[in-house]
Amino acid sequence: MTATVLFVTFVAMLLGAVPIAVALGLAGTIAIIMAVETPLAVATNVYTCIAKYPLIAIPMFVLVGSVFDRTGVALRLVRFATALVGAGRGALATVSVLVAMVIGGISGSGPATSAAVGQVVTGSMLKDGYPPSFIASTVAAAAATDILIPPSIAFIIYALLVPSVSVPAIFAAGMFPGILAGLAIIVPILVISWLKDFGGKARNSEGLSVWRTFKEAFWGLLAPVVILGGMRFGAFTPTEAAVMAVFYGLFIGFFIYGTLSLRDVYEMLVESGELSAIILIVVALASVFAWATNTLGIVQPIANAIVGLGLGEYGTLALLMIALIIIGMFLDGVSTFLILVPILLPVAKTYGWDLVWFGVILTMKVAIGQFTPPLAVNLMVSCKIASTSMESTIPWVFWMIIAMFMALAMVVVFPGIALWLPHVLGY
Amino acid sequence: MSSTELASGPADRDPIELKLEGLAPVRGPQIEGTHSSPIPLKVEAVAMAAAMAAIALITGANVVTRYLTNISLAFTEEFSVALMVIATLLGTSFALARGHHIAIGYFVERFHLRGRVIAEIVGLALVVVGFGITAAYGAWLTWDEYRFDVLSPGMELPQWWLTGCLPLLSLLVIVRGVERMVARSRLIRS
Repeated sequence: MTATVLFVTFVAMLLGAVPIAVALGLAGTIAIIMAVETPLAVATNVYTCIAKYPLIAIPMFVLVGSVFDRTGVALRLVRFATALVGAGRGALATVSVLVAMVIGGISGSGPATSAAVGQVVTGSMLKDGYPPSFIASTVAAAAATDILIPPSIAFIIYALLVPSVSVPAIFAAGMFPGILAGLAIIVPILVISWLKDFGGKARNSEGLSVWRTFKEAFWGLLAPVVILGGMRFGAFTPTEAAVMAVFYGLFIGFFIYGTLSLRDVYEMLVESGELSAIILIVVALASVFAWATNTLGIVQPIANAIVGLGLGEYGTLALLMIALIIIGMFLDGVSTFLILVPILLPVAKTYGWDLVWFGVILTMKVAIGQFTPPLAVNLMVSCKIASTSMESTIPWVFWMIIAMFMALAMVVVFPGIALWLPHVLGY
Repeated sequence: MSSTELASGPADRDPIELKLEGLAPVRGPQIEGTHSSPIPLKVEAVAMAAAMAAIALITGANVVTRYLTNISLAFTEEFSVALMVIATLLGTSFALARGHHIAIGYFVERFHLRGRVIAEIVGLALVVVGFGITAAYGAWLTWDEYRFDVLSPGMELPQWWLTGCLPLLSLLVIVRGVERMVARSRLIRS
């Protein structure tokens, strides 16, 4: 009974456009009051749940994204990559994917990468003869690799929810699946570009020299090395690695590229403060919801019901895949994880799945949901930049979804793609 | 200041708008309105920027001292965590005033303007109720910690200094929520 009230009020509020954080908090509070627990727990929960040191990594990685967004690293990476691969059919589209992957190694959220890459490549792709709907599809799909390639805010949240998984371990585990996903979406992009003759139309190529563009892009390429290398050698915790990247980005922006002013610094602090608050308040209030589901003992019955369907290991995975992609179309990755991971963990334990691998699989599903119309978060951003409708992207984005599905299937069948790197690094 | 431009969606390419757009399919019903308040939004913006900068500087200092000296600044973790909690509530209030919180606007967007405004007012009322509960019980918790002289685990400062921020900043969120509700109800009346 209480469980029904909990879910019905939650879903009703969600559909009525009540902020997700408040919908989670209020539904949880109502359930707690109905179960005659003291609501004092609400306040304590809200406080203790975000007052955790590992969570500081979130505002700091958001700040890293803001800093690098303004330094102009993305633009220089595009120039370097263009100098490398030239300007043939599908070349610039491939460049966008590669650049999105490198930016993914700096920033931690898909939509942010979508915005960063989209703003840089859309103009030149239009000139080079790509239709806007294809550009939007490419950028959205490429940016989806971002939540797999470390650092990733989705992974930090997953590690928070699953105590036995450490942030560095799941960061390492996301690396190869992320690269695989990126390479997978390049395949349909190239095939479509060849068949439809997209790209290679821009007449006056600037004649970019590989060496000159490399010298400029070098500083940007070094950023993921600073972040991941620092964590790898145990020099920094994830939070410290983020802060080092912030200072590194400021150094590049002020002294190398000269693209930043003090005004920018203030603006990026406000921007990242607001963005991280929007994420963290969901984390805080979701704890009330999770606490309610836990004390009411709803989680285990749901998990038992899923296992009780008797679909077997792969059948259950397929079911979760479909459910997560549908949910991923409506919700951002952070909220999806906060609501679903507590329910799915007992399922994973029943089948004895490796929890690091399971986190990567879940994140890949969320990533696919991020560019699956009609409610894809990344596609929303890239369509807005390319001034096109989401419906028009369907014929292109369909193939990219299939490609990323193939990558996901490979990680499901060969868990080593995810687990080899954390194993070798000794996490 | 009293101009009531009605735009059904932001058409600008403000980077923050784009990123927020991406955080959630649509963030609530998007209706542009004017924001006028006795407490300028700059209060949240400046305080939040200061807190974010302080977290970065403290963490940076921690790394530097760890590698260059023997001094351990580990106790500063507690300070950073407190700053993060404060920044989160300030940012919540800031984002609420700007209508930037994550919400599924997909269904509400199908309504007419009047319907969208009413949905937003109902949503804001629920935000006010939610943070009202947080503020009330937060105050209760603060009072308990004050009475029993609870000290923070790391720096052994009175814990209620920090806990007290929770109800105080929740009140700020409530103020922003009510302000926006008033502005919105004016919209449908006019």
